[in-house]
Amino acid sequence: MNRLTNTLEELKNKSKKALVAYLVAGDPDIETTLELMTVLVESGVDIIEVGVPFTDPIAEGPIIQKAHDRALKNNVSLKSIFEMVDKFRKNDNDTPLVLMGYLNTFIFNKALIEDNKNDVIDSVLVVDIPGELKLKDYGVYNPNINTISLISPTTKKDRIESIAKNSSGFVYYVTLRGVTGASNLDVNEISSNIEEIKKHASVPTLAGFGIKSAEDAKLLSQCSDGVIIGSSIVQMIEESSQSKEFDRISTYITDIKKAIS
Amino acid sequence: MKLDKNNLPDKNGFFGEYGGKFVPETLMYALEELETTYEKLKNNNEFKEQFYKDLSEFVGRPSPLYFAERLTKHYGTGSIWLKREDLNHTGAHKINNTIGQILLAKYMGKKRIIAETGAGQHGVATATVAARLGLECHIYMGSEDVQRQSLNVYRIKLLGAQVHSVDSGSATLKDALNEALRDWVTNVDDTYYIIGSVTGPHPYPMIVRDFNSVVGEELISQSKELFDSMPDAIVACVGGGSNAMGAFYPFIKFNETRLIGVEAGGEGVETGEHAAPLNDGTPGVLHGALSYLMQDDSGQVKGTKSVSAGLDYPGVGPEHSWLKDSGRAEYVAVSDDAALKAFHEVSELEGIIPALETAHAFAYLDTLMKEFDKNSNIIVNVSGRGDKDINTVANIDGIKI
Repeated sequence: MNRLTNTLEELKNKSKKALVAYLVAGDPDIETTLELMTVLVESGVDIIEVGVPFTDPIAEGPIIQKAHDRALKNNVSLKSIFEMVDKFRKNDNDTPLVLMGYLNTFIFNKALIEDNKNDVIDSVLVVDIPGELKLKDYGVYNPNINTISLISPTTKKDRIESIAKNSSGFVYYVTLRGVTGASNLDVNEISSNIEEIKKHASVPTLAGFGIKSAEDAKLLSQCSDGVIIGSSIVQMIEESSQSKEFDRISTYITDIKKAIS
Repeated sequence: MKLDKNNLPDKNGFFGEYGGKFVPETLMYALEELETTYEKLKNNNEFKEQFYKDLSEFVGRPSPLYFAERLTKHYGTGSIWLKREDLNHTGAHKINNTIGQILLAKYMGKKRIIAETGAGQHGVATATVAARLGLECHIYMGSEDVQRQSLNVYRIKLLGAQVHSVDSGSATLKDALNEALRDWVTNVDDTYYIIGSVTGPHPYPMIVRDFNSVVGEELISQSKELFDSMPDAIVACVGGGSNAMGAFYPFIKFNETRLIGVEAGGEGVETGEHAAPLNDGTPGVLHGALSYLMQDDSGQVKGTKSVSAGLDYPGVGPEHSWLKDSGRAEYVAVSDDAALKAFHEVSELEGIIPALETAHAFAYLDTLMKEFDKNSNIIVNVSGRGDKDINTVANIDGIKI
């Protein structure tokens, strides 16, 4: 069974919320990303979103944009990400891994997705496409890889059903109008929209974009099946990139985990 | 592929395999809202009357089709005619599209206008129409372009708009578009995004083409009046491709007219240092559309090089990709050096200082005019005037102003 589906089901059975962490592969360098992924898992992260750097990341705020730039300076490509993930799998064959990136990278490298050598990746999440778009139509396909669709506060009700059905891992609810790392959460709107999504989705609905504090995480976990944290982690990675001391990240994750438990 | 039918894009926004709507989910409703509004208004008589009235009274249309006597003599083959978009108010074809889109924004009740700009002409044209309606206006511009197009930056500010200098990525047009899209995602409820070229997600390539097609429509009647036939060729520069698309579109059905797009060859297409995706790119997705794109061997968008800020873009409008593959239009490239030579030549021969973008179209006449005889008529679309480029050219020539 797919690791992502498996993990989400286990959490559901235990009535627990999922904690998803995002980082950009290759920031500050690919070896450190590998190290950081282990740090995240040890601190309590259930699922890791591995950001695939792109030259034109239009959905990202400044923090993650800069991380993409740093990774690209290190010549990180989808190919080198697969090699890194392969190493990760030698020690961890349970944590679900989601590749998150932009359509052009996946179309250009569709052979890598089709191959998914050693079955290391569990899911693909493309941020610059509408929710109903089927990646398969563009040749991005592997029967063992889930695809995650996004629904946003501006998604009209009549589209929610078809988007939810197009999502095979979880539905990613974008909690705000804006880019990653922004700060204009409207909890009432979020909770009523997620309620609507849950009527149609057979997979869990997780919330992401703009979640920073343990308090945000707690609030949003109450109306969703889990939360996704990105910019805050990427910012801490940037600040610790010289010292390579990632204790702060561990503490941060542990606090969030406690808050949503 | 049926070329006699001008019925593209299809309902999903595709020109053959190119185009589409590849945007973050948050923007989907805004694109649908825009499409619905446009479909409702495009054949509405009141809307059309307002559009053509503004083009006539505010922009000064129709722009003349002017016989370039000395340039014609210089080549000694066919007659060269200049479509004088440089004479439009604000100095380029860009105003045609912004006049149309601001009307859409007004009907949609949007209070805030945003736009990207490369050479600054679209920024000026947007700030101009926003000022006319008293709407808040924000222009995104790559920091490198802010430097080399400082005159237009000041014009935009004079018109009451705010200029946001963009430092990310290559700090040029592509990055200005990224930043404008991020603004739109954030302020989508009250903001109208006026895209300046036939690029971006559906319905933009169609809307921008339609508003700019006034150029081609005028050319049909002016050609009949001035030389009593369809032209043998229309030559236009192509960055995103809006001036070319506006001139080409009404002519797609007239197979006797060759449609020639001239891309920015930078230091030469063979060097890889250029901005010529139709000559040296492969299909890929950037800024919401699938089209020819300059990308490296792992699918990252490549940096571009051109002396002209308005052509310095790694992608191109999807309809041009379709016209290229279908063979209906031809796409060539000329180098920075050739464009600069043409810039001086046209200034001295015709008393018209063309924009550096337009100079690319003129530069291709060196090759093209050898293919025609004395009875032929060639139209160059003079997409804009060169006042904004004086500093750039003076710098290159080592002259301090």
